[in-house]
Amino acid sequence: MAAPFNTERHVKYYLRCLKTFLPSAYTSNDSNRMLLAFFTISGLDILGVLQEKTTLEERQGWIDWLYHCQVPTGGFRGFSGTDFGAERRTEENGIWDPANGPATFFALVNLLILGDDLSRVKRRECLEWLPKLQRSDGSFGEVLGPDESIASHRDLRYCMCAAGIRYMLRGSASKGVEDIEDIDVPKFISFIEACQAYDGGMAESPFREPHIGSLEFLRRGKEDIHSVPMLSPGSRKYETLVGWLASRQTGDLGEDEEEEEEEEEEEEEGSDNASTESIQDTDPTPESEVSIDEKIGALSELPALTSDSIPCAGFNGRYNKCADTCYSFWNGATLMMLDRYSVIDDVRNRRYLVEKVQHLIGGFGKTVGNPPGMTKRPLSLHVLSGTERRIPKVTNPTPSPDLLHSYFGMVSLAFQGEEGLARVDPLLVTTQRVVQHLESLPWRS
Amino acid sequence: MDGKYASDPEWASVTPIPLDDGEESGASPLAYIAYPTEYLEATSYLRAVMAANEMSERALKLTQDVIAMNPAHYTVWIYRAKILLALEKDLNEEISWLNTVALKYLKNYQIWHHRQVIMSTRASFPTLPPKEQDFLVDMFAQDSKNYHVWTYRHWLVRHFKLWDNPREIEDVNHLLKADVRNNSAWNHRYMLRFGPREGELDAGMANAGDMSTTPSDKGVLGVVDEDMVDGELLYAQEAIVRAPENRSPWWFARGVLLASGRGLEEWEEFAGKFVAGDVVKSSHAVEWLADVYAGAGKEGLAVDMLNLLKEKYDPIRKNYWDYRIKALGQATA
Repeated sequence: MAAPFNTERHVKYYLRCLKTFLPSAYTSNDSNRMLLAFFTISGLDILGVLQEKTTLEERQGWIDWLYHCQVPTGGFRGFSGTDFGAERRTEENGIWDPANGPATFFALVNLLILGDDLSRVKRRECLEWLPKLQRSDGSFGEVLGPDESIASHRDLRYCMCAAGIRYMLRGSASKGVEDIEDIDVPKFISFIEACQAYDGGMAESPFREPHIGSLEFLRRGKEDIHSVPMLSPGSRKYETLVGWLASRQTGDLGEDEEEEEEEEEEEEEGSDNASTESIQDTDPTPESEVSIDEKIGALSELPALTSDSIPCAGFNGRYNKCADTCYSFWNGATLMMLDRYSVIDDVRNRRYLVEKVQHLIGGFGKTVGNPPGMTKRPLSLHVLSGTERRIPKVTNPTPSPDLLHSYFGMVSLAFQGEEGLARVDPLLVTTQRVVQHLESLPWRS
Repeated sequence: MDGKYASDPEWASVTPIPLDDGEESGASPLAYIAYPTEYLEATSYLRAVMAANEMSERALKLTQDVIAMNPAHYTVWIYRAKILLALEKDLNEEISWLNTVALKYLKNYQIWHHRQVIMSTRASFPTLPPKEQDFLVDMFAQDSKNYHVWTYRHWLVRHFKLWDNPREIEDVNHLLKADVRNNSAWNHRYMLRFGPREGELDAGMANAGDMSTTPSDKGVLGVVDEDMVDGELLYAQEAIVRAPENRSPWWFARGVLLASGRGLEEWEEFAGKFVAGDVVKSSHAVEWLADVYAGAGKEGLAVDMLNLLKEKYDPIRKNYWDYRIKALGQATA
């Protein structure tokens, strides 16, 4: 019998994150509080208990906090920590308390989840700020620095967030904001297309898949993008992307990491379904002396795999890496948007999530680790622009659940129709209920 | 508060600005963290110097303290860069400091972006500093697939025009010798050989950044050095015989053939050596043959290959191989 998704424990996990302080280990993710807030409230919404387990008054208090994070010049901060008070703010020091692209995206979604009508959002100011975040190559940054320079590393998730803000606030008809200059859409599309690499995958970001999200936001905004090859079934670009995404599914869960490390340090990442394969050369002979044909002749036969020899299979984000919970989401969401979710093995993905990384205390861990209660290392905080301290290689990695992996693991199950979970939109990564609420806003109807 | 800063005479003139989470106006904070007192104190002084737009040595030291507790703080780095330039600090010292921080926090975006900001100061770094590539090798010794370091190295190549700098390909060769499955090193190799060069917009493939390029020309080089291409294909073959189930060199070779306008059929014979009747030595060779057969209109043979993958060598992707079989207009079992 299939293992259960333990709804009750997950509800408890999210409620604890929502209603009590997050542990001090989250300090290095202070600047991501808007995102952490998204995981907690959207998590409860997907579990279907947000209304039941919170009061109207509580939700109003959170809405007020979200607006407290709105920057006077439009857009939202990632956390309240940059706010030195409206009375002290000037044009000159305002650059140290800037609106943040991803934070603005998540603040808007958070408001919608809590039932707000966005009437206090500085819609015009936000839409005037947005094009300033666009670089000359079409990509988007995170914040504006001194002299309105775009001060941030390149990360294609910023593009997706920018497209999302535009989608939510502008609407397809630009009602009431017709006079505000739009982002450069053709350049934006061209940039995203340019990010596809020779192997069909998307380059330039550790989570490469959001680029499709960027395009999908345009499509939903009724932009004419039917001619973009990456979105056209049958084209080389589309089919290699689907193939690349499908090949991210792996039975290598990194479980043997400890033993492997003792033998060979650089093999610690695991090696896809080739994990049992040993490197075939001993390398004493100069390569020219043995022909390639002879070397192939000496190779051993690939053993046939039986269906039950790989009970679980999660996803990785790059070749030759072991499974990581959040990639079940990133790869899955992209395939949903490409309308090709059916190419993955959903049964093995579910088994990986429920049997291997689901936690007894609720939530999900990043990778397969120690049983709960035997935590040997601090919480892994592998979130957007997060940081992970180097951990001595003496213990198994990441036994504890963290908000990012807990959320993305659950969303992956929601994509597959897990009982008890609401339907999740792969683009806004929140429930269909929230998407419907967005569509009911005055400038969208 | 009687902390480090409150008791320091150097900071006596500054009135800290405590964290305002909106509670006084009735808001309830979301994702509130049990902040350590030292962090709350340091950030309250940071807000104060930022509000005053202060460019000073003490503010510079303060940024270091906040970074140690929260290296992902997105404005503290921008503020630090501005102070460094305003005080005309020696940027070589900043790079040395960054080396220690980068080795301490291996997975952080801001550190590497800051390094890029500093390194792009032409006045201080008109050419590539001699130790820069050495430091990256030190980083790869910690984690040879560290995404941030590879992203930075990609930027470094484009900034200092290092495509043909011998050290670049040497480091790639060295890393691939140590771990032939290091896909980051394969990517870098591809970028050095076939990526967009000076004057061209950056992109994942040749000729792909320009809006005027037609889709069919993207990824294809206009002028090709056939000897270099042959050398790269041979390099990929040598890597494949070392570890035939390693996807990296197989897909690298596809990219090489695409960039040079040559077809997959060029490797039909090579791939065939891994698939002899019932004896299969690489699943990637089977997929390669399926693509060659499909391209040549031999759908039946292509389906035989895809069935081998589906039934024997790659059952995780059963649904995907079925999808490919259907795309060839064939019924699936």
